[in-house]
Amino acid sequence: MQQAAQATGGAAYADDALPIEDLKEEQGLPFEVKDGMVYLRGSRSRSSGSMAFPEREVCLETGARDMEPFLFGPNATLYSFSTVHVSSSRPVPYTLGYVDFPNGVRVLAHVVAEPSQPLRCDQPVQLRAEGDRWFVVPTQS
Amino acid sequence: MSKVYIAGAAMIPMGKHRHASYSGLAVPAVLNALKSAGIAPKDVQAVVCGHAFGGMLTGQRIVKEVGIGSIPVFNVDNACSGGASALHLAFKDIEAGKHDIVLAIGVDKLTQFGGGTLPLVAEDPEVKQGIVMPAVYAMRARRYLHERDATLEDLAQVSVKARRHGARNPYAQFRGEVTVDEVLQSRPICDPLTLMQCCPTGDGAAAVIMVSEAGRRKLGTPAVRVAASVVHSGQVTAGFRDMLNPEISSDSARDAYEAAGFGPQDLDVVELHDAFTIAELVYYEALGLCPRGESAGFLRAGKSTYGGQVVVNPSGGLLSKGHPVGASGVAQAVEVYWHLTGQAGERQVPGAKRALSHVTGGGIAGLDHGACTVHLYEAA
Repeated sequence: MQQAAQATGGAAYADDALPIEDLKEEQGLPFEVKDGMVYLRGSRSRSSGSMAFPEREVCLETGARDMEPFLFGPNATLYSFSTVHVSSSRPVPYTLGYVDFPNGVRVLAHVVAEPSQPLRCDQPVQLRAEGDRWFVVPTQS
Repeated sequence: MSKVYIAGAAMIPMGKHRHASYSGLAVPAVLNALKSAGIAPKDVQAVVCGHAFGGMLTGQRIVKEVGIGSIPVFNVDNACSGGASALHLAFKDIEAGKHDIVLAIGVDKLTQFGGGTLPLVAEDPEVKQGIVMPAVYAMRARRYLHERDATLEDLAQVSVKARRHGARNPYAQFRGEVTVDEVLQSRPICDPLTLMQCCPTGDGAAAVIMVSEAGRRKLGTPAVRVAASVVHSGQVTAGFRDMLNPEISSDSARDAYEAAGFGPQDLDVVELHDAFTIAELVYYEALGLCPRGESAGFLRAGKSTYGGQVVVNPSGGLLSKGHPVGASGVAQAVEVYWHLTGQAGERQVPGAKRALSHVTGGGIAGLDHGACTVHLYEAA
């Protein structure tokens, strides 16, 4: 950076004027495995406590740029779901669901289930991972 | 009818920000504009976002990132005038008393196209014939050299001035000075325009907080009054068009001066649409900064730089600061705000009291340009 200003203004700028490089190649996987359990990497605001997934730089509630990494999971509740048979984004079929974690964070997840185990709303699910991929599976019916 | 003020402003340094999304570009500008106005995201009552290539819901994609929602958010495309059209819509709502605090954003990301000339709408008959924006301006330049007592060196001097100004602007994409020879010897883009006579491909974002009289009293931060906000569209002709007399720009300026009650002779700062060198010369005349036919002499005499009659493009203009098309109108307003509130640092135009910004753009068959915006400002 050419400028080393104390504050951003017309005469100069500080780091807070620089664009947020949110399209940069992922630095790592969005999840972590600890003791055989899968956890997601989210961000939490130091000032407001607001939480979000995936990781981000700015608080969604106040605009504060004080997000810190934190892990959450592995248990969640399947709020709703759909098996996709026509898609412009990836090979079909696949099943997506919104899952709610106890900390209040909602995540769009792939749901992997046996066809013999029909999914239902409000079903308990748990994070799983295979290689680079993470998803949820039903833990009981 | 309320008066309308800008009470906070910010932008990001322009450049090739390939790793930033539209929201990644605009969020820092939005947050810093809010900060400079001393307000929180929740204080914003409406948002207008100008862009040309952001896609669906660009404004919402930006402001939701800082928690702004449940209020009107509008997106406006008017090619290069998108950002300034956002200012206009915010201006109208505040003037009409609908809101006291409106956030206006301008943003675009041209690196998404990988380089080359700006993509135009393929269904246009002249686009089918191969028109590109630099060719439009190149034909203006050719005609200018034909009709006027002017040379290629005069064209190049526009870039030399732009780069000299931009060298003192930390937000400019190009911060190195250039010589006439370097400009003329850079590679040809559309004869007679060379690379250094064309604005660069780049990415940028800017934001301003526009407020009513009541909003201004509440905030108490330095403010600039928006004295006029004019938008015109082009008027089609299938026949002759004088390429050195862009009626869309001169008519917009005329209406703006009339609304503001002051004229070109009163201006200290002008940020005009110098997308290509020739444009600046043509617009000196269209905006009334000098009499028709005298633009080359106006530049040569130093009347459009520091110490002259009016400082044109202290930011470095589109040629040096950069031109992420939909961002430019708001970025001009940010630059004007800094000058009229004495915050422009080493490029400050001394004692600046009144300013004009001008963006016009869009290549459509039969029109000079698709849209033109002129804003006038006064220190408050």
